[in-house]
Amino acid sequence: MTIVSEAVQYSREEIEKILHPLVREWFFSKFQDFSESQKFGVMNIHNKQNILISAPTGGGKTLTAFLSILNQLVSLSEKNKLEKKVYCIYVSPLKALNNDIHKNLIEPLEEINELAKSKGINLQKILVGLRTGDTTASEKAKMVKNPPHILITTPESLAIVLTTKKFVESFQDVEYCIIDEIHSLGNKRGSFLSLNVERLNSIAKTIPVKIGLSATIEPLEEVAKYLVGIDEDRKVKIAKVHSHKKLDLDVLIPTANLILENKPHIHMYRLIHDLVKEHKTTLIFTNTRSATERIVNYLKDKFPVDYTDENIAAHHSSLSKGHRFAIEENLRQGNLKVVVCSTSLELGIDIGYIDLVILLGSPKASSRALQRVGRAGHKLHETAKGRFIVLDRDDLIECSVIQKEMYEARIDKIHFPKNALDVLSQTIFGMAISQHWKLEDLLNLIRKSYCYQKLTKEDFLSVISYLSGEYDLEKDKVYAKIWYDKDTKEIGKRGKLARVLYLTNLGTIPEESFVTVKLQTGEKIGVIDESFMNRMHKGDVFVLGGSKYAYLYTKGMNLTVKPAPDRNPTIPSWFSETLPLSFDSALEISKFRKEMRKRFEKNLDKEKIKEFIRKYTYTSMEVSEEIYEYFYQQFHFSEIPDIDTITIEKYTDERDDKKYILVNSMYGRRVNDALSRALAYLMGAKGSAKRDVEVGISDRGFYLSSENTKIEKAFEQINSKNIEEILKQAIEKTDVLTKKFRHCATRGLMILRTYKGATKSIKKQQMKSHFLISSVKKISKEFPILKEAKREVLEDLMDIESTKLVLDWINSGKVKLSYNHVKLPSPFSLNLILQGHLDLMKIEDKQDFLQRMHKVYIQEIARRQDPEEFSYEEFLKDQER
Amino acid sequence: MKRENKSKDFTFISKTLFFPKKGILAIGDLHLGYDSMIKDQGINLLFNQLEETKKEIEIIIKRIKAIYRLKKIILLGDMKHHFHFQKQEVSDLRNFLRFLEKHVPKEDIILIRGNHDTFTLSDYKLNDFYIEGDIAFTHGEKDFLELYDKQIKTIVTSHVHPAVLICDKINIKREKYKCFLVGKYKKKQFIIVPSFFSITEGTEISEYKKGESYQQLIPKNKLKSFETYVVGRDDVYHFGKYGKLIG
Repeated sequence: MTIVSEAVQYSREEIEKILHPLVREWFFSKFQDFSESQKFGVMNIHNKQNILISAPTGGGKTLTAFLSILNQLVSLSEKNKLEKKVYCIYVSPLKALNNDIHKNLIEPLEEINELAKSKGINLQKILVGLRTGDTTASEKAKMVKNPPHILITTPESLAIVLTTKKFVESFQDVEYCIIDEIHSLGNKRGSFLSLNVERLNSIAKTIPVKIGLSATIEPLEEVAKYLVGIDEDRKVKIAKVHSHKKLDLDVLIPTANLILENKPHIHMYRLIHDLVKEHKTTLIFTNTRSATERIVNYLKDKFPVDYTDENIAAHHSSLSKGHRFAIEENLRQGNLKVVVCSTSLELGIDIGYIDLVILLGSPKASSRALQRVGRAGHKLHETAKGRFIVLDRDDLIECSVIQKEMYEARIDKIHFPKNALDVLSQTIFGMAISQHWKLEDLLNLIRKSYCYQKLTKEDFLSVISYLSGEYDLEKDKVYAKIWYDKDTKEIGKRGKLARVLYLTNLGTIPEESFVTVKLQTGEKIGVIDESFMNRMHKGDVFVLGGSKYAYLYTKGMNLTVKPAPDRNPTIPSWFSETLPLSFDSALEISKFRKEMRKRFEKNLDKEKIKEFIRKYTYTSMEVSEEIYEYFYQQFHFSEIPDIDTITIEKYTDERDDKKYILVNSMYGRRVNDALSRALAYLMGAKGSAKRDVEVGISDRGFYLSSENTKIEKAFEQINSKNIEEILKQAIEKTDVLTKKFRHCATRGLMILRTYKGATKSIKKQQMKSHFLISSVKKISKEFPILKEAKREVLEDLMDIESTKLVLDWINSGKVKLSYNHVKLPSPFSLNLILQGHLDLMKIEDKQDFLQRMHKVYIQEIARRQDPEEFSYEEFLKDQER
Repeated sequence: MKRENKSKDFTFISKTLFFPKKGILAIGDLHLGYDSMIKDQGINLLFNQLEETKKEIEIIIKRIKAIYRLKKIILLGDMKHHFHFQKQEVSDLRNFLRFLEKHVPKEDIILIRGNHDTFTLSDYKLNDFYIEGDIAFTHGEKDFLELYDKQIKTIVTSHVHPAVLICDKINIKREKYKCFLVGKYKKKQFIIVPSFFSITEGTEISEYKKGESYQQLIPKNKLKSFETYVVGRDDVYHFGKYGKLIG
């Protein structure tokens, strides 16, 4: 199997020796010495070794990758030996590559050319071609005729060129394949790219050298295997370049007391304003798109003299491309004082000089926090200055612990989706368009992808059945995408439209449409998923950004609401814009809780504990005071949950007699999602009356609300062996499965976004997905697209693997469950109710529900004796009271 | 649990309406071809509407024949879905009629014209309405003077695909069901039959908007005083007046 080893660094002299005189002269006219990543990379690439280079931003990674390749091409072109073919393919998940490529490839090329000219050396022109979704048809045609020596592309465009016959011919001698920003490929796009890289490998006469570029990431060994794939003779080296950037971090609270202060936001803006004034250019990360706009507007509003359209801007993915480019350009030019963004400026592209990064709210993982703060002081040896601003005590602890992880260089782990059958279906369809395949060869090729190394033959064959139309009901198989000859075990293209269908529908990023939520005054509150709005009726109350609102009316893509602070939500919502807390960071927080608990149990005095907090989390006096208070209250109220203890509180809200079970399980939302739904399912399904269970999920724990409060039993029944089966049943009727199914059906080309020249609105896709999933369920529970939707919910949206780990801890006694009956929720638990993302686990059958409601109706009729006067609505209201 | 009045001369059998004394079965909108429309939009729907419809009707006819005599079948219109002519749909419809002919003689199958029914069949007539004794059957989109003849006591329509949303006390769980609506209007008893096709449940009265496709005989406000009979898997349940049900 693939062998991973550590790369060695080469000396300046060694590298100089291999450089062409022109390249060498050019290099030293620009730089004094090779950077660390160049010392690792250039020789290895020159020697045709696969290499993964992990380095912090600003380490000159991109040039490292190109230097040896430029060196080779310059040598060839001087000898007039440059051929009409592609030598190198560079793939980046970012579309906005232009600037980076310009700086690291076009400029060096031009300068080397100039240098050659001045020396009277004649060089053949080295062609660079950019092929992305934005490339025009005429440019594409030109490229086919005159293939670039270096092709710059995205994963999607790579898949397209791999399906273009003429292009494929010029790929046969590809020598290098660079994959940039690997750290952002821990998703289905990553699975998609890994399959297409294997397609490339199979086309090329010799497997191209792989060069992977990544920010700081863990576990490197797995990422390296992802880069080169899995096979017997594959080898890859890892170069880990350490950051020499000093970190200057701090956690700030805008007001002395987070609990007593009524309007902490006003203080927060004041604090932001003060920080901005002290710095030249500030970049603010907010986590959500809606917050981005809100902050820009507020600053402009409150400090009109300081902020104008010329010096402050919001940057997020919903903005038009042109708008975003303009902002990025302004940022590079140094025209902007502040840019507020959600996550969109986290990645790669050069954004010029930033001297302060502000993180509003928790970045939810140390790797993301480092990536963000790394945008400051872009040059390698400068100091990166970052400030967390928090408004909430849970966030305060979270950010303080993440800050600790950052200083101590602890990075959370990347997760690559495995065996995604929707992406596989799409890719096999594309492959069948180019040529006939023997099933065995096809499966062998697929299993070389890191993401599909353990693909079972059954799953593979079910995808083939699906694609060849075996599940279709009609004999004519209108939807069959490939033909499959069972005798020869071969597959191939079917129908004239296959290529068009593939080219117009490929890709893995699900389309979402959002509705803007506004108050009657016109003030924007946020955005919600369109499918969520479709489920609401006039008068419904829902939660957005922690506050409750009542639905008034919609107009186009705007939803008008009014605040409804005193009413209970009538619409459960699992949707959330926020990122989940990483499992690793969650465990770090639990460790910190344990340390705190020990100190309270030992009765240490306040100052000692505060000193511990400051040392442990590298935080200030104010922060340690606030954290101390929070733990003090929790300790004296009931019990501090920690790495060895999950505390469970049972509580009845006397206002509406609603029973709650509050579980403090600090494992991050992905684990809590799985755990809570499995428990809810077991509780709801037990006994004679199957009832729905309300679930509220957050990073720090979850709550369940139902008539059955026997969670102890459910915990006894559940273990790492049966959780997967339980969850598969539990998610069967959830909206989240339907939504993921729609995404998977689109990726797996069951729903064609573009068909017969028309592009479907998402609304149309949504309307049908509900019916689609129920008809699929009738056909087969093992239908590959349905199976994939379930896998995605369990493994990607939730984290079933870590959940199994937690269950093993519980069952072995390593983690104790501590039950308490409480009159009021403890301080730690209170936010579980307030901030949990609500969902209803539908356990009761639709028909049983109808019968139950009818019984209620009959009883009511009998009670009132006068059916004519009976009002169902009033009756409901009575019950509510 | 059934709350229908025994003295009435009709009964609900699943999504259909049956008149035991006369042996007449009335079936609401079928919209055959809806599945092919979805497929035409590029969605691979693994659902064969024609076969599923036949299966469901077969079960209903069996239930009827176990107790009563089935003499006539009336299709209340919108038998097919597309407004324009579509070869597949008409062939599906023929196939469906052949299937009905196994259960009652051809002349006892009555077709009412719906707003979607833009076709002709050589061996069947499309009627605007059909009258048998004191009962008139019509699609419900257009009005006809003949319906208001003195001898007529009951008018049966379909067209609007009535459905209700039922919520529990905390108003979190909510489900939509097909329903019958029964009530008085212009001195006639109206019975509105839910759509037969299963791809969608139907439309709540509050969702009716102005415009052609919502045009029907009875004003929206009036409909709210109609009695609601909700179609469940095993039974049809009376839930009182629609307006009070939906508030």
